[in-house]
Amino acid sequence: MVQRRNILMLSWEFPPRIVGGIAAHVHDLSRALAQTDLDVHVITLEFPGAEDYEEIEGVHVLRVDSYKYPSPDFASWTFMMNLNLQAKGIELIRSLKSNVDVIHAHDWLVAMAAVGLKHLLRVPLLATIHSTEYGRRNGLHTDYQTMIHQTESWLSHEAWRVICCSDYMASQVSWAFGVPRQNIEAIPNGVDLDKFRANFDRENFRKKFASPDEKLVLFVGRLVYEKGAGVLIEAIPKVLSNVDAKFVCVGEGYMKDVLISRAHHLGITHKIYFTGFLDDPTVKLLYRVADVCVVPSLYEPFGIVALEGMAARTPVVTTNAGGLSEIVEHNKTGVRVYLNDPDSLAWGILRVLSDKKYAERLTQNAYKKVVEVYNWNRIAERTKSVYERILHEYEKGSWKPVSTQSSKPTS
Amino acid sequence: MRVLIIAWEFPPKIVGELALYVSRVAAQLVRKNFDVYVVTHDDYRTGLDQRQDGLKVFRVANPVKTHISVLTWDLTLAAEFERASSDIIYSTARTVSLIDAHEWLCVIPAIALKKAFDIPFVYSVHSIEDQRSRGATSPFNLAITNLERLGCEEAERVLVKSTEMRDELKIRYGVSPNKIDVVQPSSDTWIDDILKVYEKAIRAPLQDFWRLAEA
Repeated sequence: MVQRRNILMLSWEFPPRIVGGIAAHVHDLSRALAQTDLDVHVITLEFPGAEDYEEIEGVHVLRVDSYKYPSPDFASWTFMMNLNLQAKGIELIRSLKSNVDVIHAHDWLVAMAAVGLKHLLRVPLLATIHSTEYGRRNGLHTDYQTMIHQTESWLSHEAWRVICCSDYMASQVSWAFGVPRQNIEAIPNGVDLDKFRANFDRENFRKKFASPDEKLVLFVGRLVYEKGAGVLIEAIPKVLSNVDAKFVCVGEGYMKDVLISRAHHLGITHKIYFTGFLDDPTVKLLYRVADVCVVPSLYEPFGIVALEGMAARTPVVTTNAGGLSEIVEHNKTGVRVYLNDPDSLAWGILRVLSDKKYAERLTQNAYKKVVEVYNWNRIAERTKSVYERILHEYEKGSWKPVSTQSSKPTS
Repeated sequence: MRVLIIAWEFPPKIVGELALYVSRVAAQLVRKNFDVYVVTHDDYRTGLDQRQDGLKVFRVANPVKTHISVLTWDLTLAAEFERASSDIIYSTARTVSLIDAHEWLCVIPAIALKKAFDIPFVYSVHSIEDQRSRGATSPFNLAITNLERLGCEEAERVLVKSTEMRDELKIRYGVSPNKIDVVQPSSDTWIDDILKVYEKAIRAPLQDFWRLAEA
């Protein structure tokens, strides 16, 4: 009887606990992997109302206590809660009679637990690096940031292989941590097309955000510097001098007040709607009613927003930052504009809004690409082949959880 | 009998009194025919160091070099302690009978090893947070206090050097006095008393393990 392989995913977030993009990624990937012949177990943090154990579409989800006591800072909290993740991992692996084939860790937030489990139980470790501290902070400026950077580096070195979501990130991980490029797999994130198929009253929904004769320009992203919301604000007057549009910005962030006051200063307050956080189903509908989706990012490991725009058959206008240049090909699957350039961004938006046939051609190509390249089944197959490659090497080696009296302890 | 001692300092890395104390314990255990491994920290002198008397010292570096507190320093080092200890346990066919963990810094690997391999541990307490940072209750102090409490809960035996410390643990962490052993380093029967604590932790007569020591 062929034994099914057990995969243990470690992630600090998993629905309903959603902080950034990792939750959706792990949720989608684990479900897609469970569709193949793998048994997938996810160990993650608790969330109010969520069960300690549940099975979601074949994925076994275990939630542990996060560290409840006051913490000096976020990183210390993270390291402390790893103790609980690790304890759960030991319990799970032993209950499966040590038959966990691969530990798949997501980002530095679970490094301590992942590396500990790897050595305690001699299970090969795979790490997905979603983003780096270096990239998030545009350099390392404090000991705190350096500590996190070194933790990321440590995790990527302890991993048998590293997965990144784009060639851009693979390069970044390679030079930032010194991991050889051939040990890094660039596997893109996917998008769940089912989330864009719900029936809804298009007219009534759209009315909540823009009037029927206004074009709806959608921005989804944290209101932080690297997402380029500031660039968008500067581009708005130029767009408005050519076309009547409403700019809908979904997201929160430290720049919100600055953006609002700048909008006021430019006299465009009535043309921009900061919605704050919106629930996922609403955002998915917004993608579908928008006339254009803009992603003016300055730093972007991947660019899931562009992918979602493409899945919703809405034309996308993006910069070429990071992973965006791999997702959006200019004039083919979207419009690419210059980085940090409001005039270029305005040009791109107008290009799409003024030429309906052009926009339609883009969305058709874009949708086709999403179906072919960014579907989770394909991504799961690629991920699975990484697991197989690791296991093939592991099986040939002597680093195993078997006890041999004669072998020397390694240093 | 095979014993694994985890301590954050050991000669030649001498920061406080702990290094020399652990060194004495290890040396005495070796003289009593125990197979002793010490897992400790050193950022430079890493690797296995086999001494003439048979003591084996594994030094590991902290995998993360930049830190914002001794707490984060310890938490990343813990994974390397777990690695070195696991390697020792596997290479000795899982015949390590006992772990002796010194101070709060070594509580994390001790607990992990106990859960992974069912190896009991003795928590050797030399000081507690409330003595080091009198009355301080910042989140930093609380985190360390929590680790000390966790160590007391998960250990088979808690080993202290004075009746005063025993009373402190009773009051501060609610540890049952039945769980705490007092062995004064100045006593004539010091090392034999420690061995009795080890025996209690393993819950088997030491005679069996004398035989194992010869095996």
